[in-house]
Amino acid sequence: MENYLQYVADSTAFILEGSVLTLQLYAVTIIFAIPLGIMLALMKISKYQSLRYLLTFYTWVFRGTPLLLQLFFTYYGLSIIGINLQPFTAAALTFVINYSAYLTEIYRAGIESIDKGQYEAARALNMDYFQTMRRIILPQVVRRTIPPTCNEAITLVKDTALVVVIGMGDLLRSAKELFSRDFAITPFAIAAVIYLLMTTVIVYFFRKLEDKYSIYE
Amino acid sequence: MNNTDPDMKMIQALNITKSFGAHTVLDNVTLEVNKGEVIAIIGPSGSGKSTLLRCFNGLEEIDSGRIIIEGDIFSEKDEKHHKDKISARAKREIAKKLGMVFQHFNLFPHMTVLGNVVEAPVTVLGQKKTDVIKNAVMILDKVGLLDKKDAYPSKISGGQKQRVAIARALGMNPDIMLFDEPTSALDPELIGEVQKVISDLAKENMTMLIVTHEMRFAGEVADRIIFMDEGKIIEDAKPADLFNNPEHPRIKTFIDKISRRDAE
Repeated sequence: MENYLQYVADSTAFILEGSVLTLQLYAVTIIFAIPLGIMLALMKISKYQSLRYLLTFYTWVFRGTPLLLQLFFTYYGLSIIGINLQPFTAAALTFVINYSAYLTEIYRAGIESIDKGQYEAARALNMDYFQTMRRIILPQVVRRTIPPTCNEAITLVKDTALVVVIGMGDLLRSAKELFSRDFAITPFAIAAVIYLLMTTVIVYFFRKLEDKYSIYE
Repeated sequence: MNNTDPDMKMIQALNITKSFGAHTVLDNVTLEVNKGEVIAIIGPSGSGKSTLLRCFNGLEEIDSGRIIIEGDIFSEKDEKHHKDKISARAKREIAKKLGMVFQHFNLFPHMTVLGNVVEAPVTVLGQKKTDVIKNAVMILDKVGLLDKKDAYPSKISGGQKQRVAIARALGMNPDIMLFDEPTSALDPELIGEVQKVISDLAKENMTMLIVTHEMRFAGEVADRIIFMDEGKIIEDAKPADLFNNPEHPRIKTFIDKISRRDAE
């Protein structure tokens, strides 16, 4: 029994080392994809038609093809035409672009759900476009899009496991290595618990955010 | 109410027209508003009352004609050139002289009552926040809502919301107030408190245009009443004249209908 506990502790330590990369990729994706998603959403409903078409094409492609394929493309595909990216760079780039596509659509729908009267009130108070967006529209959009953004944030935790295909050592790969070495199911159980802990923290965080913003409802 | 200064035209609308598609909403409307004047605009739905009001602060663009606000050209278009001769920036500068109150309040739900009043003077005019708060507190006191200053709009009644909306517009220190059916969305028992705030403003010689279906209120508060039908101003008269002997039979029918509805 004591041996087993020791085994669990050692395995956990090993897998946690692997999860550092998972967390790094997670952080980079969230930090860049959310602001990018908001920006692209604003551009997607702008008056510039060519911009709208371009962004429609972008979300169509990146939501319509597997993330795995996009990852292959950025890492292996681009190297064929001479663009050699580090695995982490390739993964981060792919994840940011892919998640921004989803978030663009979420925020676009959020912006369009805000009552026209809010724009008119802002206009009647002489606010310009940026003031209206920053002070009036986007704070309300953020509140309304917390649940779908939370969904994306949870999916992202699990999607980070895909990076094993471009040779990166993450949480799941560490677990897989232990499995191959020991032929025991415990490493997978440990990995599952770590994933669950991460998603639990995320859900908790978004719940708090929702409470904070729901004060005005 | 009668301290009007005939020399100062607050708004001059000259031959303005406006269509939505094939439907003409404003048909060659000409109107002058003097300083301190209170004008009630009445008429059936779809007669162009609200659109006229919305042209005065740029929420709608005119198709042709000219709008002058306190001597500055705010909007000018002719039939051939469909581009407004006045830049967006210049328009915004002129539009600062007008405040507007909407039928559905349009308060900012994510801000407190005080936050709603403070927002624009700080963000748009760049005034110092402590000064703005002092002024906002004064205005909220005037509309009787100081005790609600920390409440969010979702927690107050419709009548209180509309009074906040008026306070919010007043926070920008406008010369002219536009009211677009300010009591139409309110329960009957809440109408009075909003009308009282508007009457108080009239006593302070605020120049006001009020689109309304409340005939009694229009008669009490207004110096002039304008009757609109099918995009045209059919009559522009003192309340007593318009109510007692309207020139146009259409007006009598309309007033009778409204009065009957109110009596029910």
